[in-house]
Amino acid sequence: MSTHLLEIDGLRRSFGDVVAVDDVTFTVPGGQMTGFVGGNGAGKTTTMRLIMGLLATHGGEVRWNGSPIKTLDRRRIGYMPEERGLYPKQKVLDQLTYLGELSGMTASAARTSIMEHLERFGLEDRAGERVEKLSLGNQQRVQIIAALMTQPDALILDEPFSGLDPQAVDSMVDLLREHASRGVPVLFSSHQLELVERLCDRLVVLAKGRVVAAGSVGELRGVGPVRYRITLGGDAGWLRDLAGIHVHDVDGSSALVEFQDEAARPALLAAAVDRGDVLDFARRIPALSEIYREVTS
Amino acid sequence: MTTPTAWLTVARREIISKLTDKTFLWSTFGLVAIIAGIFGVQAFMANRASEYAVVTSSSAAHQMAEQVKTVTEEDHDKTTVALSRSDDDAAAQELVRNGDADVWLHEGNGGWVLSGKTDVPGDLLTSATTAIRDEVMGVNAAAANTSVEALQRGSEVSTALLDVDADRAVMAQVVGFALAMLFYLASFTFGLALANSVVEEKASRIVEIITTKISVRELLAGKVIGNLVLAFAQMALFVIVGLVGLSFTEFDRFVPAISGAVGWFTAFFVVGFGLLATLWAVAGALSSRTEDVQVTSTPLTMITMAILFAALFADGTVKVVLSFVPPFSAIVMPMRVLEGSAPWWQALLALAILVVAAGLVVRVAARLYQRSLLQTQGRLSLRQAWSTPE
Repeated sequence: MSTHLLEIDGLRRSFGDVVAVDDVTFTVPGGQMTGFVGGNGAGKTTTMRLIMGLLATHGGEVRWNGSPIKTLDRRRIGYMPEERGLYPKQKVLDQLTYLGELSGMTASAARTSIMEHLERFGLEDRAGERVEKLSLGNQQRVQIIAALMTQPDALILDEPFSGLDPQAVDSMVDLLREHASRGVPVLFSSHQLELVERLCDRLVVLAKGRVVAAGSVGELRGVGPVRYRITLGGDAGWLRDLAGIHVHDVDGSSALVEFQDEAARPALLAAAVDRGDVLDFARRIPALSEIYREVTS
Repeated sequence: MTTPTAWLTVARREIISKLTDKTFLWSTFGLVAIIAGIFGVQAFMANRASEYAVVTSSSAAHQMAEQVKTVTEEDHDKTTVALSRSDDDAAAQELVRNGDADVWLHEGNGGWVLSGKTDVPGDLLTSATTAIRDEVMGVNAAAANTSVEALQRGSEVSTALLDVDADRAVMAQVVGFALAMLFYLASFTFGLALANSVVEEKASRIVEIITTKISVRELLAGKVIGNLVLAFAQMALFVIVGLVGLSFTEFDRFVPAISGAVGWFTAFFVVGFGLLATLWAVAGALSSRTEDVQVTSTPLTMITMAILFAALFADGTVKVVLSFVPPFSAIVMPMRVLEGSAPWWQALLALAILVVAAGLVVRVAARLYQRSLLQTQGRLSLRQAWSTPE
């Protein structure tokens, strides 16, 4: 298994006076799924277009396996643009074969790969239909096939899950994992944070054209302050009076606390045991959405 | 640095998608049918066989009718005259009235009369007049002890033409107009379709996928070449049908001259169409929706119209000048070659100028096309497209 590496280094791009992408740096290692999140207008699509060479960069560079990316490298990348579209009046198989040939496949190799992918999505009997006859979800599957059929060296997918039903999301996830396990870097953007959390190994968070957080999901979780949830036998209000801890929230017998120094933790537990029962005491793993809110705020 | 055949793949798609488009097929078929129809009617009219029924009611008239029959059938290849006799004048009149006979030949008014129902067929009348005059004059001459030849000596009138090329000039004009019309039709219909297909790619954003695989120039080249091949094939089909049609008419003697000039038309067509098609592609790239194409292609619609008008109406010095000025030269020069007013070196020079102009236009157009292709918000002006960063 050969592993590829995609590096984005100091990328800049402005449109008139608006800086859309500002010194964006992150890496997309092979064999991993990297989630690309950020609000509308954060610069995700522009970054992806810059990576694909659809827009000229105003600074920085994109590196493929250590050297500046070339047209030929880009041709080996499966790309799915944000706004979907295929030739509405062309038949599914013909259209995908055309795109395969433009990627350098022979027509027959393209057809074999397309039919395999169509079967996976249960669309093998729609190969001869015009794209406009398909439902939007199925059109999207066809578009995904366009990105995957060449066994690409990397995948850059802009909102690949939007518009898919849960079942389709699952089969899509399986498919992307397969490609990742070939050693391929996979970068995908999404608004669905819980999906990103479930799916990706790494995360890049973009806000107003800048990277505000990047790293593995574990690393990002470690970025924020560590909090503990404690549930007592009785009312937890007295915790507020203890020294060395910060109480975020008290709800009856339960409280969310943050320790300002390490010694405060045994002190709190001792005091709690002193006063009665401790039903639960656990380090709280923040949800991705919390991290996201924190880093983008 | 992509495969050298990427443009070929694009061109092939353009051709196949056109050939499977019913509108295109029907319009091609329709025009072929019209061209074939025009020549078919001509040929039919020229070769139509006619038969005239002549009735007589006296033996003198019958003898005269035999003469009329002989002369008429000699004069007109495909015409036959059928003779019949009636017992009396009333019966003969009745036959003409109810349409069983075309004319009743009888004596009257101090000579001979051809009585028809509502009219007397012109070619029958002409031949009958000659036949009867010769016959009667023969009798009169004999009575006067002389001969028809003696009476007619020195009275022949013949014609001679000082300008033997007049025919050819008319033919050149007609054929030139027809080819100019075809050029206009081809550059307009294919151009508009090309602009629309560029917008379709923009609007559906498939262009984003395509241009990550091949260069914008390859895409443009493939689209223009694909359409050029199709337009050329369509034009060739029309010309061949036209020439075959022409060979069935009385103008068949012009076929060799026209076939020779078609070579020049071909060369000018290919370059001129390529130039215009590239501009049509830019018109498509400047808009984001099919509705916008009407606006962005207006200048091109005007240019194509101007070329047609130049071909139809330019004369004298204007014509000579335009035959060197692209894009007018694309059709005006081969028309001059056809009418014989331009020597080969002039045609070659005009072609060279057209090639250079097309080369420049393609370079400029490629830049405009490239820069506007990914702009999907509304229409772009030429200035915007030119200065838009990639």
